[in-house]
Amino acid sequence: MTRRGLWIGLSLAAVTAVLLFVLAKGFGRDPHEVPFQLRGKPAPDFTLKRLDTGAPVKLSELKGKPLVLNFWASWCGPCKAEHPVVAMAARRFGQEFQFYGVVFEDTEENARAFAGLPDPAFPQLMDERSRMAVDYGVTGVPETYFIDAQGIIREKVAAPLDPRTMMEKLAALKQPAGPVSEVVR
Amino acid sequence: MTAWVLGLVLASYAPQQAGSTLLDPAREARVQALGKQLRCPMCQGLSIADSNSSAARAQMDKVRELVASGRTDEEIRGYFTSRYGEWALLEPPATGMNLLVWLLPLLLLLGGAVAIARTIRRPASAPPAPPAKPAEPETDKDRPPPDDPWLEAVRAELRR
Repeated sequence: MTRRGLWIGLSLAAVTAVLLFVLAKGFGRDPHEVPFQLRGKPAPDFTLKRLDTGAPVKLSELKGKPLVLNFWASWCGPCKAEHPVVAMAARRFGQEFQFYGVVFEDTEENARAFAGLPDPAFPQLMDERSRMAVDYGVTGVPETYFIDAQGIIREKVAAPLDPRTMMEKLAALKQPAGPVSEVVR
Repeated sequence: MTAWVLGLVLASYAPQQAGSTLLDPAREARVQALGKQLRCPMCQGLSIADSNSSAARAQMDKVRELVASGRTDEEIRGYFTSRYGEWALLEPPATGMNLLVWLLPLLLLLGGAVAIARTIRRPASAPPAPPAKPAEPETDKDRPPPDDPWLEAVRAELRR
């Protein structure tokens, strides 16, 4: 092989390798999956109104006990299927964990009808104009955030929770946290 | 019946809320320009400025709030990438690995242009090809033995 041929061959091989690398990187992930960057970071603070009493609830006042935040809406079919799972966990593990629902893009009237007020299994919060949902990087409903006692987001589940996943995530939430990343504002 | 079906269909959608109050024209233009750069999380390849979804409206509200609070464009893009990563940007920045995606097509185009230029130039600049050597007459050594009846038959056929 001539020197020129060798150079052309090497160049083509290099370009092909780079293309294959880029394609493999792209094909390796689900195009519908939205990345989540807040894992391991402090949960953004919020003050939301309780749906039942209208009293304000601040995240900073909830620290000290692990927190499960479940975003839902009455117009969301999968949320209806998931709601009993969260309600069951709230009844069973309410001593160890705090459970709050966050109403996403919905009216108070619809949310009240859906959540079974005035006797809900866990308190519901109204997120006016989804300000808090945007701060948390919510991409749709249902989505559930698992926040530890120090206020660090440990995990997010962007799908309806089944009992087994709920139990696994709650067990993981009791484990000690890794190093904390910088605060996101 | 039609009203019932229509009611059922409409009930499955999020109640639409109007966007937040528009800013003055200059700052609102910034909001819209930034909204065009940010990917809607609930849609397929649409920007939050172009989408009608509730999540996109909520994000546009956030952009408007951040612009009103005096944040720079870079800080506002940073707010979204800190939550969704570079996925949030419809046009990924030309840094790091992304640089390959920007530079590779340019390099390939350049390589192709060089190859075409060299091919076009070669006949004019290349020295004239030496005259082809006349074919060497077949030597007796190459010839098959004359007593091969099959070859003789083929040759006789070709000579016709």
